[in-house]
Amino acid sequence: MVFSEDKLQKVQEIIARYPEGKQKSALIPVLHLAQEANNGWLSPEVMDYVAGLLSIKPIEVYEVATFYSMYNMKLIGKYLFEVCQTGPCMLRGSDDIIAYIKEKLAIGVGETTTDGMFTLKTVECLGACGYAPMMQMGKFYKEHLTREKVDQIIEECRSNAALNN
Amino acid sequence: MGRKVLLDKAHIEGIRYYDVYRKNGGYAAVEKALKMAPGDVVEEVKKSGLRGRGGAGFPTGMKWSFLAKPEGVPRYLVCNADESEPGTFKDRYLMEFLPHLLIEGLIVASWALGSNRTYIYIRGEYAWIVDILEQAIAEANQAGFLGKNILGTGFDCQIYVQRGAGAYICGEETALIESLEGKRGNPRIKPPFPAIKGLYDCPTVVNNVETLAAVVPIMNLGGEEYAKIGVGKSTGTKLISACGNINKPGVYEIDMTQSVEEFIFSDEYCGGIANGKRLKACIPGGSSVPILPANLLLKTAKGEQRMMTYESLADGGFPTGSMMGSGGFIVLDEDQCVVRHTLSLARFYRHESCGQCSPCREGTGWMEKILTKLEYGKGQMSDIDLLWDIQRKIEGNTICPLGDAAAWPVAAAIRHFRDEFEWHVTHPEEAQVRNFGLAHYADPLEVAVG
Ligand SMILES: Cc1cc2nc3c(=O)[nH]c(=O)nc-3n(C[C@H](O)[C@H](O)[C@H](O)COP(=O)(O)O)c2cc1C
Ligand code: SF4
Ligand code: FES
Repeated sequence: MVFSEDKLQKVQEIIARYPEGKQKSALIPVLHLAQEANNGWLSPEVMDYVAGLLSIKPIEVYEVATFYSMYNMKLIGKYLFEVCQTGPCMLRGSDDIIAYIKEKLAIGVGETTTDGMFTLKTVECLGACGYAPMMQMGKFYKEHLTREKVDQIIEECRSNAALNN
Repeated sequence: MGRKVLLDKAHIEGIRYYDVYRKNGGYAAVEKALKMAPGDVVEEVKKSGLRGRGGAGFPTGMKWSFLAKPEGVPRYLVCNADESEPGTFKDRYLMEFLPHLLIEGLIVASWALGSNRTYIYIRGEYAWIVDILEQAIAEANQAGFLGKNILGTGFDCQIYVQRGAGAYICGEETALIESLEGKRGNPRIKPPFPAIKGLYDCPTVVNNVETLAAVVPIMNLGGEEYAKIGVGKSTGTKLISACGNINKPGVYEIDMTQSVEEFIFSDEYCGGIANGKRLKACIPGGSSVPILPANLLLKTAKGEQRMMTYESLADGGFPTGSMMGSGGFIVLDEDQCVVRHTLSLARFYRHESCGQCSPCREGTGWMEKILTKLEYGKGQMSDIDLLWDIQRKIEGNTICPLGDAAAWPVAAAIRHFRDEFEWHVTHPEEAQVRNFGLAHYADPLEVAVG
């Protein structure tokens, strides 16, 4: 993977936010860009590429990439369901939502459907406790989840995927 | 009705955009502050009695006056928008609906502290809010409230939004600084404090989103007027994010004149317990503060009405009180299992420990394991004492307060709900099919419900 011209320009913009010589500060935002450009995960090659862009050592990239939970260290499905399981969401039935998604997609937590369409993960509090139960899907939150709403979301993903093919 | 100074304009259509915000009195605080000497702005904030809204409640004016000012060294202001404490979602609300209120507060604070590069560190999951903030910043630049030579004062300031990538620990201010420097979020040993050596080893102030937004009404009203809102040392207003088993979860601004009972049961706030159930317990200030059973929540141990102030929520200390914390108000109804809920929080802290200190790294793992045993009917009576022992060994023995934050919820759950833990041991099979429900400690509630 290499960045498009647009992304390279974005990288320069990000670096300019920090004082001279502090371009390492750009690492976390640039890893977000890299993950987007690489189907939602960070391969060793991608991390090495980012190290080159910021003139830092590859190890400095690996240690950061593995620390933060939003970076995926392996290939994931086209749609990532990240369901919150912390206290406040649990009080509003997140256990049932997780069980339902597992059953409906026939996968366990951390697994991807065989068609490569969906990955299910559990995550810790995402700051949406008042709109629980909830999950994150890409850039957006899906809140006030019910079984019916889960059905709907899965349906929408499938038809979107069909449209784009 | 309580007085509002933060969310009073939240209902105005289009208030998210500069033009509407400006027409409704926006940026008057910047105009006022930039005519004052920076030191005088700090004095106003001191007079306001404002206490940090991120959880610790440290007086903001005092924190600002500690900032070192060596010649020729840049100083930084960093806004903490990491908001990851379970139960807390108030900063998100502020940024989503009133982004300019935060930007305005940041400009005033940057002027007061002399920060030319100011960063908002926001949790990575709030991706759509990054867009909202960046648009607000672009609008403020266009209007001349940011950029070079703001309002002809010669003051240059730019605000940048930095996204995190999923780590609760990055809400701790020194971990946040490490993360902003492009590293793992490992908290630093203090001292030196950020006020002396923070971002890029320069003097730095880290403040919560709500704290910085509150600077706007402080400038507009004047510190003394602001201090008249609230009760005693709990000055001003506080945002409370209420969640759990209530009828109206959401974000509420209170002026701290409310009692806890009014906050839970009145229609203006939580609207009572959902589905006609009874109140069992509540964590009033985010997952890290002690849980209280209903009776101790509504009345202090002295039998006084418990109020939504810093002092009253903490009345009785840890034995019989709790804390205002971040304002994450989590309500449990009679059907909830305290053991299960505590387990879920223990798992959270184990997941979020950065792993630097062994009491925290190992202790959080052990607490999760033992709670899992108890919850699933595999525990023994001695496990409850072991759990108590482990949490005591974490508290106070770590680099950062995450260790304490992990220990306190477990300690409070055992302190107030020991009979429920014991029931899990004596009734291992029954505990798999039903919850313990209410016990004697909820008696006074009959009154509150009826
Ligand atoms: C583990 C941990 C997590 C924290 N998370 C946050 C947070 O998400 N947001 C926040 O404002 N403060 C958080 N804090 C408190 C900050 O360290 C710091 O005290 C605060 O940002 C200071 O701002 P204030 O004085 O305006 O409250 C956290 C502290 C700890 C120990
Ligand atoms: S207390 Fe826990 S989170 Fe804090 S520095 Fe130590 S190991 Fe890390
Ligand atoms: S507990 Fe799920 S969003 Fe906070």
